[in-house]
Amino acid sequence: MRRFEATQRVMEAITDELVVCNIGHPAQELFVIRDRPENFYMLGSMGLASSIGLGLAMSQDKKVVVLEGDGAVAMNMGSLATIGLVRPANYLLIIIDNERYGSTGFQPSFTASNLRLDAVARACGVERVTLIEEEARITPAVEGALGADDGPQIMVIKTETGMPEGIGVIPMDGISIRDRFIDAVGA
Amino acid sequence: MTPTEQLYQRLRAERIDFFVSVPCKLLAELIERLEGDPDITYTPVTREEEGLGILAGAYMAGKRPAMVMQNSGFGNTINAVCSLLSYFKIPVVFLTSHRGSEGEPVEAQRVMGDAVKPLMEAAGVDCIEVASTDELDRVGEGIARAFETRRPVGFLFPFSFWRGGE
Repeated sequence: MRRFEATQRVMEAITDELVVCNIGHPAQELFVIRDRPENFYMLGSMGLASSIGLGLAMSQDKKVVVLEGDGAVAMNMGSLATIGLVRPANYLLIIIDNERYGSTGFQPSFTASNLRLDAVARACGVERVTLIEEEARITPAVEGALGADDGPQIMVIKTETGMPEGIGVIPMDGISIRDRFIDAVGA
Repeated sequence: MTPTEQLYQRLRAERIDFFVSVPCKLLAELIERLEGDPDITYTPVTREEEGLGILAGAYMAGKRPAMVMQNSGFGNTINAVCSLLSYFKIPVVFLTSHRGSEGEPVEAQRVMGDAVKPLMEAAGVDCIEVASTDELDRVGEGIARAFETRRPVGFLFPFSFWRGGE
């Protein structure tokens, strides 16, 4: 299972939730797997997807799912502390951990050696932390997390590196992504 | 009324309803005010860049968001200002205590104190200095312009502002 397949399994569990997605290849893959107005593709500001999702969860009642990467979380690890402080019930952070900076040439990230993000999440005061390594567990786990109202929840999905051929940049500009998403939030 | 209270009432009159903060000694009273107001949404954040992500999310959910921080923290935000706020046209309000301004006792604060205004301007933030409570109309005008043009606005409040008429 690569990030692409993990993202497919996650999106099979998504109905009307708001989805905020990490920069680069993860956003490009999500666009191919299932583009929808409720997706916010964060095209710059690596590391801030979890924070954007937190601001959304604090400001309205719809459930918010964030698709992050291990390198991006390492870049903004303080976000986990703030999530553990604010504790929004409608917030699910999914960290797809391929142990690489995939969009920049698959350089090893910190999770390839010393960093365990599930342990960091727990240490930040988030009780509902799940570590998933089998593809078949992903869809039911996300469905279960979204069915509960006792968030915040953080899920770390360990995957292989690599991505499919032929996935290119998202053919939408920032203002179109933003306006479509704000309409879908409907706040 | 203290300068902080006058500023806070002006911000609420301008319907700013979502705040994050990173502390500064000059902002201690304002941060206490935020913690105690049930009519707004507020959280401290670990770093200013993280705060901008939260504010961007809040804006897309209909809030009028602001960051309370020291000017040195602006240096921690520049990529997010350009590739998140400017790229997606998301307005936020920076409420910035201006260390390194006239009366600064700590020499080390002067360098970033001098750099903050040109940095804000280079990053596309509408930078406005508010030297005393007599100039609070600038806050109202700047906030209105920010949400109308969807461009971030940064207010710099030097030592003279926080001292008030003492």
